[in-house]
Amino acid sequence: MTGEQPALSLRGLAKAFDGKIAVAGVDLDVPAGSFYGLLGPNGAGKTTTLSMAVGLLRPDAGGAWVLGHDVWADPVAAKRLLGVMPDGVRLFDRLSGAELLAYHGLLRGMDPAVVDQRAAELLDVLALGDAGRTLVVDYSAGMKKKIGLACALLHGPRLLVLDEPFEAVDPVSAALIRDILQRYVAGGGTVVFSSHVMEVVERLCSHVAILAAGTIKRVGTLPEVRGDRSLEEVFVEVVGGRTATGEELAWLSR
Amino acid sequence: MAVPVTAPAAPTATAAATHRVSPRHFVRLKLRVMVNNFRGQAWRIALYVVGAVFGLWFAGTGFFLFAAPGLAGNDRYALMIAAFGGGLTVLGWLLLPLVFFGVDETLDPARFALLPLPRRTLVTGLLAAALVSVPAVAVLLALSGLVVTAGALGGWSAAVVQVVGVLAGVLLCVAAARAVTSAFAAMLRSRRVRDLAAVLLAVAAALLGPLQIFGLAALRDADWDRLDPMAEVVGWTPFGAPWTAGIDLAEGRVWAAPVKLLITALALVALLAWWSRSLESAMVGAASAGPAPARRGPAGGAVAQLFPRWVGWARRDRFGALVAREARYWWRDARRRANLVTVAVVGLFVPVMVNLGGANLTAGDTQGFAVPDTSSPLLVSLSMVFVGVLASVTLANQFGFDGSAYAAHLVAGVPGQQELRARMAAFSLYVLPMLAVVSVALAVILGRPGWVGVTSGSLLATYGVGLAVNSLVSVLGAYALPETSNPFALNSGAGVAKSFLTLLAMVGTMVAAVPMVVAAALLGDVWHWLALPVGAAYGLGAALLGAYLVGDVLDRRQPELLATVTPRR
Repeated sequence: MTGEQPALSLRGLAKAFDGKIAVAGVDLDVPAGSFYGLLGPNGAGKTTTLSMAVGLLRPDAGGAWVLGHDVWADPVAAKRLLGVMPDGVRLFDRLSGAELLAYHGLLRGMDPAVVDQRAAELLDVLALGDAGRTLVVDYSAGMKKKIGLACALLHGPRLLVLDEPFEAVDPVSAALIRDILQRYVAGGGTVVFSSHVMEVVERLCSHVAILAAGTIKRVGTLPEVRGDRSLEEVFVEVVGGRTATGEELAWLSR
Repeated sequence: MAVPVTAPAAPTATAAATHRVSPRHFVRLKLRVMVNNFRGQAWRIALYVVGAVFGLWFAGTGFFLFAAPGLAGNDRYALMIAAFGGGLTVLGWLLLPLVFFGVDETLDPARFALLPLPRRTLVTGLLAAALVSVPAVAVLLALSGLVVTAGALGGWSAAVVQVVGVLAGVLLCVAAARAVTSAFAAMLRSRRVRDLAAVLLAVAAALLGPLQIFGLAALRDADWDRLDPMAEVVGWTPFGAPWTAGIDLAEGRVWAAPVKLLITALALVALLAWWSRSLESAMVGAASAGPAPARRGPAGGAVAQLFPRWVGWARRDRFGALVAREARYWWRDARRRANLVTVAVVGLFVPVMVNLGGANLTAGDTQGFAVPDTSSPLLVSLSMVFVGVLASVTLANQFGFDGSAYAAHLVAGVPGQQELRARMAAFSLYVLPMLAVVSVALAVILGRPGWVGVTSGSLLATYGVGLAVNSLVSVLGAYALPETSNPFALNSGAGVAKSFLTLLAMVGTMVAAVPMVVAAALLGDVWHWLALPVGAAYGLGAALLGAYLVGDVLDRRQPELLATVTPRR
């Protein structure tokens, strides 16, 4: 790979749980500097795919590369460039926000002075400074997402992988997270995130991939995938949902 | 469900008025809910049957204990048994539900919050439903023994009074349990109080064994005559009044019986009034505990906040951060703290009991070691091995404590050897001082200060070996703990295989510690001086070697380990 290297590339990633196939061979190239949305209905394999891409779940087959570094063969180099916010994974929530950030920073081998300075800045920007010594376990859902994002950003990664960053987040916090992510991409970073909320994806993303039943169904830039229709129409068509004809459930109206 | 309490068939006030809700409905509702819980769940039925059999066994034992004075026709201890036995029963009903996080929640008062029920109906109904339970029936059966005693000593009249007394007493027990739990319901629902309660429970559970033995020893030496006035005083409090009324009548204090029944009735009314008042808070308490108040801490950088003051010596790098975080977790995570407390209490009491051994203490059931009349370096070493094993086996599922949070270590790429060394160091911050106290205290209590070397040497050796063995077990045999606030909850099903692994770790640790015991038995006086340096070196070496070898295993198994400690949702 020379020249313009993809920030993240997946080749033939596959995973089965107890004989049930969750991901059936995913190939994906995420260009550097893109804002990449991974779309899919519930149970499509988004979390499984992203977990394999960042080294949290060992794939049955295939591989993942972060800026050319093999995640599974050379994890140290790959993980240094990578910031991750997994979904449904607890943080070390018996720490306060500041303690958690310090912990993540030192785990990454950062200089304590830099950790202090960045942690203070992140807490301030994400409006978490008011929480003081409150333990993360007592945070609200939105605050937990924000501190998770702060932990992923702290070491200044080149690629940010976020699983459902806008799930269960109020509009104010969502706007804040969106704003920070847009600034991060404008500064040369790459973001990959999963979601099933079309509005967010349409507003933010430069590239989109639609994942259903463990395989990629559509992939490309947002205009390419969307064509002249709305993203939601394309999504429902690809995933194979039904659209209401207006005949059924007539008894609902009176 | 065809029970009027929950039936939606009362759209108007007139319809509701035609169907009076009586305690009978609550009892039927409770039975129905119980039966539905059993549906298709054989193991639940089995558990219930086991509980019922256990309750019956307890009831039978209690019955004969309380009936003993009557059966023997001896009134010497009748009052004492009634006052103390009954009083302890009431105390148990008062405290145990608090410690065990609430009572039988088949009929949770919060479920009735939306129903238009008068408070009085609700209280009597819930009380009636609460009486239909194994513990209530067991207590009723057990204390019926008092009726036999009263009847045998005082004839029919005393027996009848005692029947009334026992019935009122059981009502008092149940009402006390309900009133107290209801009053604390809102508090028990908050995480902080539950954490505290968990630790108290661990202390209580750990103390139970030692207390029992000390109690037995005290009973043997006690001067019974001096307890008589105490029994009389207890008899006049609500704790003893219901149980002693008939005995008083039998012993000729006719005037005392009605007064004691009156005391019981007043206490019962007061408890029900308290319960009724606190029901409201219990009913709304379930909705929300409210946000926790923000705590303002000392200023300072994030890094300074992460490190507790007493870990301040640690370097501000990855290893130091791991130690600091683990040190904080051993205190802040109720599950871990409960484990620490158990180790501290058991680790101090068991060796003392085993080594004091001899005629007046029976510690044979606490562990398999024989208890000779006098202690010896061999026995001391053995008991120290036990403490070391106990302390180190706490780490057998150290990754399970972390749960899915362990993902952070994968993402950051923490090297396995560093991780294990840091975890050992942080745990040792708590345990080593504890072990030092145990070994010194034991030597002092035995009156052999010269044995400090032997005790601390074998303890350190076993602990170090145990760290190594349990590191391996924690990497290979980890299992997920449920993400609940109850620190004693275990995933059902994980039990048998996992405790087998833990057992294996304990046996492995003991085997590896055998050289210390052999040396103590063979080397004689020289060992008093050599034990400490040799033991410390052996332990430290084993722990470091363990971290080195197991660290490689951990490096290869990180994602698999994460998968096994992540609870299924």
